[in-house]
Amino acid sequence: MAALHDSGRGMSQGARNALPMILFLGVGFAAPLLAVIAYSFMPERSFGLIHPPTLANYVEVFTGNSYISFFWSLLFAAMTVCILAVICYPIAYGLSRVFGRWAPILTLLFTIPLFVSENVRLYGWILFFIKNGVLLGTLKSWFGIELDSWLFTRGIVLLGMVYVYLPFMLFPMTLGVSMVPNETREAARDLGASRWQIFREVELPLSMPGIMIGLLLTFVLAVGAIAEAKVLGGQTIIPITHDIEIAFTYAQNWPLGAALAVLLMLVVGTLVLLVLKRFDLDAILGKR
Amino acid sequence: MSKRAPILELKSLTKSFGTLNAVDGIDLDIAEGEFFTIVGPSGSGKTTLIRMLAGMEQATSGDIILSGKRINDLPANKRPTCMVFQSLALFPHRTVGENIEFPLKIKGIDPEARKKRALALLDQLRLPQNYYDKSVLRCSGGERQRVALARALAFDPKILFFDEPLSAIDYKLRKTLEKELKDIHRETGKTFVYITHSLEEAMVMSDRIGVMRSGQLVQVGTPNEIYSAPKDKFVSEFMGDVNVIPVTMNGSRTITADTFDKTFAVASVPDAFTKGHLVIRPEFVRFVATSKDADNVLEGKLYNEYALGSRIQYQVRIGENVFIVEKLRQHSSDLKRDQTVLIGWDAKDSILVTG
Amino acid sequence: MSERSRHALIWAWTLAVLVFVYLPALCILLASLTASRYFLFPIPKWGLDWWRKTFDSIEIHQLFKTSISIALCVTVIAVVIAFFGALAFARYNWKGRTLFQKIVLLPIFFPQSVLGLALLLWFNAIGLQMSWMTAVFAHLVWIIPVVTLVISIQVYSFDPALEEAAFDLGASRLQVFREVTLPVLLPGIVSGALFAFLLSWGNFPLSLFTTGADTTIPEYLYAKMVAGYTPGVPVLGTVSTFGAAFILLGGYWLITLRRRAQS
Repeated sequence: MAALHDSGRGMSQGARNALPMILFLGVGFAAPLLAVIAYSFMPERSFGLIHPPTLANYVEVFTGNSYISFFWSLLFAAMTVCILAVICYPIAYGLSRVFGRWAPILTLLFTIPLFVSENVRLYGWILFFIKNGVLLGTLKSWFGIELDSWLFTRGIVLLGMVYVYLPFMLFPMTLGVSMVPNETREAARDLGASRWQIFREVELPLSMPGIMIGLLLTFVLAVGAIAEAKVLGGQTIIPITHDIEIAFTYAQNWPLGAALAVLLMLVVGTLVLLVLKRFDLDAILGKR
Repeated sequence: MSKRAPILELKSLTKSFGTLNAVDGIDLDIAEGEFFTIVGPSGSGKTTLIRMLAGMEQATSGDIILSGKRINDLPANKRPTCMVFQSLALFPHRTVGENIEFPLKIKGIDPEARKKRALALLDQLRLPQNYYDKSVLRCSGGERQRVALARALAFDPKILFFDEPLSAIDYKLRKTLEKELKDIHRETGKTFVYITHSLEEAMVMSDRIGVMRSGQLVQVGTPNEIYSAPKDKFVSEFMGDVNVIPVTMNGSRTITADTFDKTFAVASVPDAFTKGHLVIRPEFVRFVATSKDADNVLEGKLYNEYALGSRIQYQVRIGENVFIVEKLRQHSSDLKRDQTVLIGWDAKDSILVTG
Repeated sequence: MSERSRHALIWAWTLAVLVFVYLPALCILLASLTASRYFLFPIPKWGLDWWRKTFDSIEIHQLFKTSISIALCVTVIAVVIAFFGALAFARYNWKGRTLFQKIVLLPIFFPQSVLGLALLLWFNAIGLQMSWMTAVFAHLVWIIPVVTLVISIQVYSFDPALEEAAFDLGASRLQVFREVTLPVLLPGIVSGALFAFLLSWGNFPLSLFTTGADTTIPEYLYAKMVAGYTPGVPVLGTVSTFGAAFILLGGYWLITLRRRAQS
C-alpha cells in the first residue's frame, strides 16, 4: 500500500485525505455533543452557556420519573433487537447462500424503504390498522367482523419499531453471514457434524462480527426512536426521546433536556465503544 | 557478447526500514542490452531492490547511476525506465489499445500516430489486430501479459523492469511466455532486469544472474557459472536437489567427510578453503559395479525411485544421509528397493563450497 | 429437514417479510387513489383528484424545492469529503487509521433525534439562524460517514499498482488521479452519491430540529399525519416511495449496464 513517492515529511497521504472529514466532524459532531454536555450543567430553564455550572438537572433526572421513560426506551429497543435478530437471520442467510442471482434484486427491494422517510412508512401502518382502514375495513365489509382498532397499543409500537429498523439489522447481518467461507461449512459437514452443530460451531461464530454490528446498530438507533411511539402509540408509551423533546420545546427547559440527552449518549457511547473495539473493520468491509 | 558499457551501476545501494536492511550495500553493473535476472527466496530483498531502481521506493544510501547520471532523486515518472508489475496493473476501465497507448497519450502524441504504434506493438507481441478495441477484462492470462509488455514497450524505456510477472501462471503457459520474453528481448535489444524466485526460470532467459539473500548479492555470473561453480551452499542448493556433504580439509590437504569415515578425491580446491561442503550434482552420480569404477565410491541401499518426466531419480541411503542419483529415462537401471548398491562420481565433478 | 425444504422455507419466509415491508406502501398508494376526503376501506370512490390537487399546490412546490435543495447540496459536499475520507479509510496505511475508522463510525451509531437536538443547541450557542442550510449541515454529519463506508467498499478492491503503473509510465500525479484513480472508483462514487441524495431526501429526525422556518417534505408529512390529514399526504408518500425506488433501480441498472459493457 505504498503511496506514490511518499516524501516522508509532513503529513502522510492518509492523514491528508482524512483531514477534511476530521475537521468537519469536529465542528459538526464533537462540538455539538460538547455543547449538549455543557448545557446539561446550566441552571434549569435558562438559555445560553453563560451561567455558573450546577448539577441540578441531574438531580432532577434521578429523582423525577424520567427513569420510567428511560426504562421503556431501553426495553423496547432490546425487544426490537431480539425480534429483528430472529426475523432477519434467515433472510441474511438466504441472501448469502440461497438466492443466487436473485440476491441483488432482493437486496435492492429491501433497500428501497430505507430511503423513504420513516414517518411516511409508519403512516401506511396507520392506514392499515385504523378503524375502517385496510385491515378492519376489509374484515367488516367482506366478513362482517367488527374489531377494535389495534392502534395505540404497546404491541403496535413494537411492530412499528421492528418495521423501521429492519434494514439496519438485515444488512450488517448479511455482510456477516457472507464472511463464512463455504469450504469451512463443507469441511465441518465432511467431518460428520449435524446441521445444528454446523450452525453452532461454524456459521454463528464466523458471522458474529456482522451480527454484532447489526445488533448494536439496531439497538442504538432504536433507543433514539421518536416517531413510532408518537405516530402509532399515542400516549401509551413515552420513550425517553419524547421526554427530551418536550424538555426542549414545550417545557422550555433546555438544560434538563440536555442532561437527559447526555445520559442517553452515555448509554449509547459505552455500548458502541465496547463492541466496536473488538472488531477489525477492514476484514468486515471487504479487504480480503 | 562484446564488452558493452554498463547502462546501470549500483554503488553500495542500501534500503533500511528501521534497523532492518532490506537491501544491504549492493554493488552491481548491468550492461546495456543485457537480460539480467535477480534470483532469491521471499524476503531476500529483490522486490525492494527493483522498486528502488524503478523509482517506487527511495534509497536510504548509495547511488543508482543510469547512463552515467545519478538518478536517486528522479521520480519514477521522469525515469526512462518502465516496470511490468506482478499483478500487471492493466487499467480495467480501458481497452487493450487504450492501455498500450497510455504512455503515448501522456507524452502528447496525436491519436493517429498513437494508434499506428499500438497496432505495430500488437503485431510484435503476437496479438491479433482486432484486440485493439477489446476490453482487458476479457483477455486471457497470457494475453494480458503481452498487453502489459506492449504498454511498457510503448513507453520506449531504456530499461524494462519485471517484478515476477510469471509467478501466478501455470507451467505450460509459463514456458511459452518465457520463450516469447526472450524473443522480444532479442528483437528490441533493450536492457531487461527481471526478478524471480525460480532459478530455473532465470537460467532459461538470462544473460547473467545475480543470486540474492538477506539483502545482499551472494553471487553474480552467467547461468553456466552459477550452475557449475556455485560460491556457497546456499547458491548450490537453490537449484533444487543436490548432494551436499559437510567436509573439512586436513593438514595434509585431503578432504574428509565430517560425519563419516571417507576421504574424497577432488579436482581443485578453492583458496583458503578449510571447512565447508562438497557438492555433487545428481546427474554426475552413477551406479558402479566396483569401487575402482569411479574416483569416489560409496555403498548404500536403494531407498526410493521417482519418475520425473524425462529423468528418473534414485534415492540411495548411506548411513544417515540420502544421496540422489539422476539418470535419463532411457538409461534407467533395473533395481529393487533395499538392494545394496555402489554409487560413484569423478573428482572433476566434485565442487567445494564454503558455507 | 432436507436442504431443499429448508431453502424453500427460507424463500417463503423472505417473501413474507418482503410483503410485510411493502404493505404500508401499498396502503398509502390505495389511500392516495380515493376521491373522498377521508380514508375508508374498501374505497368507495376511486379518483385521481388528490394527485392533481397535490401537484398543483404551491405549498407542495415550495416543499419540493426545499427538500431537493438540501438533498443536492448534501450530495455534492458529501461525495467530495467522503471520497477523500474513503481513501484515508481504506487505501493508505497511516498511523491514525484504526482510530480514524472508529471515529467515522460514531455519527452512524448514534440516535438521530439526539444528534438533531445537539445540533440545535450548538447552532443556538453560536448564534446561527436555522434554515435549510443548517439542515444541510446536519444531514452531512451522519451522511458523510455513510457515504465514506460505501465508497470504501469500492476502494478496498482498488489495486494500488494501477496508480504506480500510471506514474511509472510518465503521468504526473494529477494525470494519475484523473486517468486512473477517479474512473476506476467511479461506481463507488456514484453509489455514494445515490445514498447521499436519498438519505437526505427522506430524513426526518435531523430535519425536524434544524430546518427552522423552512420545511422539508418529511416534516410536512409528519405534521399532517399528527393533525390535519388530507389524502394529499398519501400522494406525497407514494411519490416519495416510487421516487426512491425509481432512482435506486435506475442507478443499479446503470451500474450493471456499464459493467456488462466492459466485459
